[in-house]
Amino acid sequence: MGGLLSGAWIDHTVNGLIVGNIYALLAVGLALIFGVSHLINFAHGSVYMVGAYIGWACFRLLDAPLPVTLLAVAGGCALLGVAIERIGLRPLAGSARIAPLLATIGIGLVLDQLAQLAFTPDPRALPSPLPDWRIQIGGGTIGALDLLIAGVGVGSAALLYGFLRFTKLGWAVRATALDRDAAQQCGVDVNAVNRAVYAIASALGGVSGLLVGMYYNAIDPYMGFQAGLKGIVAQLIGGMGNVPGAIAGSLLLGLTESYGIALFGTSYRNLFAFVVMVLVLALRPNGLFSRARQTPPEPLTGTFVAPSRPVRIPGWLLWALGIAAAALPLAVQNAYVLQTLGNAWLYAVLALSLTLVAGTVGQISLGHAGLLAIGGYASALLALDAKLPVALAVPAAGVVTAVLGTLLVSPAFRLRGHYVSVATLGIGEIVALVILNWESVTRGPIGVVGIPPLSAFGTPLLSAPWVYWIPLAAVALVAQVQARLLGSHLGRTLRAIREDEVAARAYGVGLDRYKGLAFGVAGFAAGIAGALMAHVYSYINHETFHAPISVLALTMVILGGLGNVAGAILGAVALVGLPELFRAAAEYRMLIYGVTLLLLIRFRPQGLLGTV
Amino acid sequence: MSTDDAILRLDRINTQYGAVQVHFDLSLAVPRGSIVCLLGGNASGKSTTMKVILGLVAPRSGRVLLGGEPVTGLPTPKIVRRGVASVPESRRLFGAMTVRENVLMGAYTRGDRGAVREDYERVLDLFPRLRERERQHAGTLSGGEQQMVAMARALMARPRLIVMDEPTMGLSPRHVDAVLDLIATINRQGVSIFMVEQNAAHALSIAHHGYVLQTGRIVLSGGARDLLHDPQIRDAYLGGARAA
Repeated sequence: MGGLLSGAWIDHTVNGLIVGNIYALLAVGLALIFGVSHLINFAHGSVYMVGAYIGWACFRLLDAPLPVTLLAVAGGCALLGVAIERIGLRPLAGSARIAPLLATIGIGLVLDQLAQLAFTPDPRALPSPLPDWRIQIGGGTIGALDLLIAGVGVGSAALLYGFLRFTKLGWAVRATALDRDAAQQCGVDVNAVNRAVYAIASALGGVSGLLVGMYYNAIDPYMGFQAGLKGIVAQLIGGMGNVPGAIAGSLLLGLTESYGIALFGTSYRNLFAFVVMVLVLALRPNGLFSRARQTPPEPLTGTFVAPSRPVRIPGWLLWALGIAAAALPLAVQNAYVLQTLGNAWLYAVLALSLTLVAGTVGQISLGHAGLLAIGGYASALLALDAKLPVALAVPAAGVVTAVLGTLLVSPAFRLRGHYVSVATLGIGEIVALVILNWESVTRGPIGVVGIPPLSAFGTPLLSAPWVYWIPLAAVALVAQVQARLLGSHLGRTLRAIREDEVAARAYGVGLDRYKGLAFGVAGFAAGIAGALMAHVYSYINHETFHAPISVLALTMVILGGLGNVAGAILGAVALVGLPELFRAAAEYRMLIYGVTLLLLIRFRPQGLLGTV
Repeated sequence: MSTDDAILRLDRINTQYGAVQVHFDLSLAVPRGSIVCLLGGNASGKSTTMKVILGLVAPRSGRVLLGGEPVTGLPTPKIVRRGVASVPESRRLFGAMTVRENVLMGAYTRGDRGAVREDYERVLDLFPRLRERERQHAGTLSGGEQQMVAMARALMARPRLIVMDEPTMGLSPRHVDAVLDLIATINRQGVSIFMVEQNAAHALSIAHHGYVLQTGRIVLSGGARDLLHDPQIRDAYLGGARAA
């Protein structure tokens, strides 16, 4: 705890401004990209990570001096940015806005995984080559690295201002951001503009990663994920696409975090950012600095539901597949195979939950791992601390998740398009951070150990067939409920909301109520999935249900076909079951997921079985 | 072909939005140095015609010829570089950029800085009102002033042809006359003009030649003076569900 001595507060302020400067380097790039392409670039955090590793290579392998390293990082990341634009954005120019967003998530995942394979997941030191002197200001101190970060921040802001205000390409960037078609009619090659913007943004992002690595003297392949989110939060605070707003939002976020840490402790750092983000999204979706309170205009909306005719699976075939699946443990004795497939069924329940929300209602949720976490913790703690039998704890966890999940997501009900994805992602992070910090209930970072296994009437069901059958039963139950739901009037109403919220509202559909209902049903299913996972795994902690699981779930759902009940199950089996069975691929599993997501979005957005 | 006396020629264009066909064998020509207007009501396919000319929408079949050379399928910036400037529907200015920046954006494709500066002065002489507003954001101007910025922007490209989408829409009567006068003035300086209009009386008062478009087909064409006195015109430009 910092205390109220002025020296400590000067330190906190300096620290907040430095961190804010780093966020600003990220947020400015994100704002530029959003400006010209209306895209939240989720790969930006990975560019930042790559920047740090290029810096490491320059220092360690080439012994390069700092200025050369800075240039190499900026240049290398600029090239990477151009590649991201070319692969992730350009080919998807004609599709719904959410498609390139998902593509950037896929690219980010692939980059993170490649870095992990190339450099191992372990952190590396990135010592600053600057002299280690500090100057006293009041009661606080400022070091050489602080000055460098501030200098780079202010310097890049000035350069960017000059570029946008006085160069021809800068004018073209602004014109494209304001009106893409009109800019083209003035002869602006908007592809060239996009390329330039991605290059500039990525160069800034990479330098930011380098500076952070030097600041903490540590880099790792996953450092980009949180950082990228912070950049997005900072940009949201300042208003999407607003460059000066992004700088102000970043400094504000840096200071909030720094003072917050001083008051509450380090483990709360990220919680502030995401709470601020959800508040901003709920109360002022256009950022703190804009007057309008309404959600931004059309280009951001639109679902990713590619029109297609779903593959019709005859009823007898479904029954046959179901019976075959149920009878499998009689034929296959291998416990490993059964456990793997049981795990795939658990993910199938998660995918069913997500396909209802993302496919049927068109709310692309990136926070489904949070629902799993709520369900898992609820069931584990009910069984351990409240001594509830597991058979009761699991459904109770489903109810808890339905209620809590819907309440948590409800601020996002009035949002659309990208904003839903960003908000749900933030909500998922909040869940994980609350679990980490609420030690008296959740046991904090230690996690929950000794979770009782699945059981019925006091008999533990530990054997492999049961670990297979119980999740399969959950799949059958949830799929049954969902298929009924989709066939009913309610299903039609939910799809109407997906197709056109405004029209649905005009026909008297109470959006909040229906979205609430959908998230309630989805929350129950995800809660049960999480609960079963907890009892099967017997140990969970705040990282068991981390954000990549949300991305994985979305990949499953897109693979099967958004909104397609059978597709969700197929997607889960294909992505969780198959790589696990081919053990050689285990190391590359996440990489496979990322590449699968990219290929699907590009070549088969309707998935294997078609969207419903 | 290269000695085509038409600066712009559309040759049997068919355009489709998904399953909906917008143009049916649309053909028309803009002779060099003339003002040609395309009249039509809502949903007649007027604005899509503009988009086809500018390469914003690709026709399913047919050709767009500029001075005899095919430009069908070229990206918009390339077409602009061949001397086509546009005054888009409802102006489409860059609202958060200044008037000066907006007008100079029109010269984006030009490299001759000195000449651009001279042209800028010349264009502002044509629109003295804009000189007072030079440093103001374009989004803060009145509708008539915005129309002037859009026209000034188009002129800065030193175009051979300006295509205009409903240049008089939403303007007060006083501004309508001013804008029409300016279009005639620009034309007298040697720039060919193709405009789509809903208001036939306005358009025909300055045009040399007119076409009437109805649900994607040319149903009538002729000299502007003849069309102005044609009783059928009234049906066509008011939507004309009963003709065709």
